[in-house]
Amino acid sequence: MKRKVLLALSAILLGGMLLTGCGKSNEIELFSSKAENKEILQQLVDEFNAEHPETKIVISAPADAGTVLKTRLAKNDIPDILALGGDNNYTEVQSAGVLEDLSAENFTSQVQESYLQMVYDVNADKEQAAYGIPYATNASGVLYNVDKFNELGLTIPTTWDEFLDVIKKIEAAGEQPFVLTYKDNWTGLCAWNSMAPDLQPEGFTDARQAGTTTFAETHQEIADKYLEIISHGQEDFMGTTYDDGNKAFANGQGVMMINGNWAINQFKTANADFNVDMFAFPASNDSAENYVTSGVDVLFAASKDSKNLDVAKEFISFMLEEENAKTYIDNQFAFSAVKGVEQEETTVAGVKSDIAAGKVANFPDHYYPAGFDLASLLSEYSLNYVNGMDNIENQKSFLANCDEKYDIANVD
Amino acid sequence: MKKKKQKVNVLYYVVVGAMALLFFNFHTVSFLKGIFYSFTDWKGYGDWNYVGLRNYLHMFEDVDTKNAYLFTFQFTVITTVLVNMISLILACALNAKIKFKNTIKAFYFLPYMLGNVIVGFIFNYIFANLIPTLGKACGIQILSTNILGTNHAMWGIIVVTVWTACAFNTLIYIAGLQAIDIDVYEAADLDGASGWKRFRYITFPLLAPSFTINMVLTAKGFLMVYDQIMAMTEGGPGTTTTSIAVLIYKKGFGGGQFAYQSANAVTLFVIVVAISIFQLRILEKREEQIR
Repeated sequence: MKRKVLLALSAILLGGMLLTGCGKSNEIELFSSKAENKEILQQLVDEFNAEHPETKIVISAPADAGTVLKTRLAKNDIPDILALGGDNNYTEVQSAGVLEDLSAENFTSQVQESYLQMVYDVNADKEQAAYGIPYATNASGVLYNVDKFNELGLTIPTTWDEFLDVIKKIEAAGEQPFVLTYKDNWTGLCAWNSMAPDLQPEGFTDARQAGTTTFAETHQEIADKYLEIISHGQEDFMGTTYDDGNKAFANGQGVMMINGNWAINQFKTANADFNVDMFAFPASNDSAENYVTSGVDVLFAASKDSKNLDVAKEFISFMLEEENAKTYIDNQFAFSAVKGVEQEETTVAGVKSDIAAGKVANFPDHYYPAGFDLASLLSEYSLNYVNGMDNIENQKSFLANCDEKYDIANVD
Repeated sequence: MKKKKQKVNVLYYVVVGAMALLFFNFHTVSFLKGIFYSFTDWKGYGDWNYVGLRNYLHMFEDVDTKNAYLFTFQFTVITTVLVNMISLILACALNAKIKFKNTIKAFYFLPYMLGNVIVGFIFNYIFANLIPTLGKACGIQILSTNILGTNHAMWGIIVVTVWTACAFNTLIYIAGLQAIDIDVYEAADLDGASGWKRFRYITFPLLAPSFTINMVLTAKGFLMVYDQIMAMTEGGPGTTTTSIAVLIYKKGFGGGQFAYQSANAVTLFVIVVAISIFQLRILEKREEQIR
């Protein structure tokens, strides 16, 4: 009896394995590391599948995709098509040498140079080859309450001094300049990510990696301005969560928030009529230096050993078609890396022209080593400020900590 | 006379064997692998090399690790003492002849039924919204900010942990109290011992086995504190509430320090075992002296 049950069980198991094993020959796997875009991706994939009945693209978007991808890399089981962020997960796959060089493809020329350059920058040894085709991008800067700006007669600041002036006017009117949400410590990175590209010396990330420069030597101005910003945050900003802060901001608390286009969805959920826009963080007094911080949110890559490489290329080309790229960004409040495809949503109108003109800088933390936990350091820096530690002493220990932790992460 | 060996039902072996197999496969093997990897420089994927004791030696120079150990020990000592004190008081009160005893017991036991993560999220809301509103209304400075965003975040976590942990410990103490023979109390009454004296000389000594178990279990649990912290602060602000387990998770999986944090995990294991054995020795000796 027992044996029979066991036999039946194993037969079912075995059968299941065999079943899932076959029928896969014309299936192509699209591995996506972003959970938020699954629906829209599926919609576009369905369209593609309808046009190509001989093959079928199947999306897999596991939770904790980065780790899953790394284990699959270890097993040498590379998905046919990959949709990844332009971060160290991509670097990991690219440096393993399993991706097809797409530089020579026609569709590559449809993509903005500045975003291609960002992908090159995260290639191993900064190889100037398009192993990944940037598709959708995001933007970080200052989100502001348009109605309050109009009410207080404020204009969009383009330099640091103008920015300080705006802050002063807001405070004079009895309003709170910033809503900061440092309980979730990644939000502390936003201000840093917006300032660092404008103010850090040219080639800092390479020099720091090589150990020829330090944060302490070069990042004083950024650390100074960081303190200036948090000194205009609301009371208890260290204890405010991202969710609560977004709700409060959308319902009229504070005038500005330093975050990215991904927060807009949350504002709209909290208050559908909220009138919000975004401008580039004016960290420098030279307005030409004030870039919009924008990174590659989704890029496409193809496995070079895939049996279906042609279909993979065709799919990428299909996704880059103007109409499809537009459908995607409209759904996601995102920006497109495809030339001529612009985000027309008013909520991000203030940074649209900069992005279209390529006046963008990547998130500096995409270039820091993966183990370098800057968010915690910034949180500690802010906490010390709140506790009334001397600014000069605080800054000194913060920058020294940055260097120390960077070195540890850089080696291991 | 030699006892005749009784034939054991095979079913026992099947049941125990299956469990042992599962346990060995999913627990022991992973544990041994963890020890193995702690002597390598494996990142969690890709190639690796033996590095001998480098990971263990590096722990002594790493400020993050040092801070995590300091936090964890501080947290463990405070919480263990508080939990046992409060549980003991609660147990004595609940063991007295009071009305609605079972209803009250149910209230106290409720937190144990909720998961730590859920409790953490609930208190996250309480600390972020309810308490500051209350504090502002009453004009109490210290309560008007979210405690989890300040230097005192540890105390916020301690409050929640004590609240959840008391449930189970109270239960063990109540069981211990109920096992004490009423005759002993009657004898004590005749001899004129009541109130504090009765507790000091009768109840507490007779509760010694429960006390030992509770001390060891709580200390072990709090040394490995993880889920409350992940739900409430994720180790922040800064690194002020990063416990050893949180550090292991964050750096081991997010920071590519898999092997190094494996070494950390092995060290934590050794420390937990050492402390537990130490506690058992001391407390059991005490139990014997009392008898």
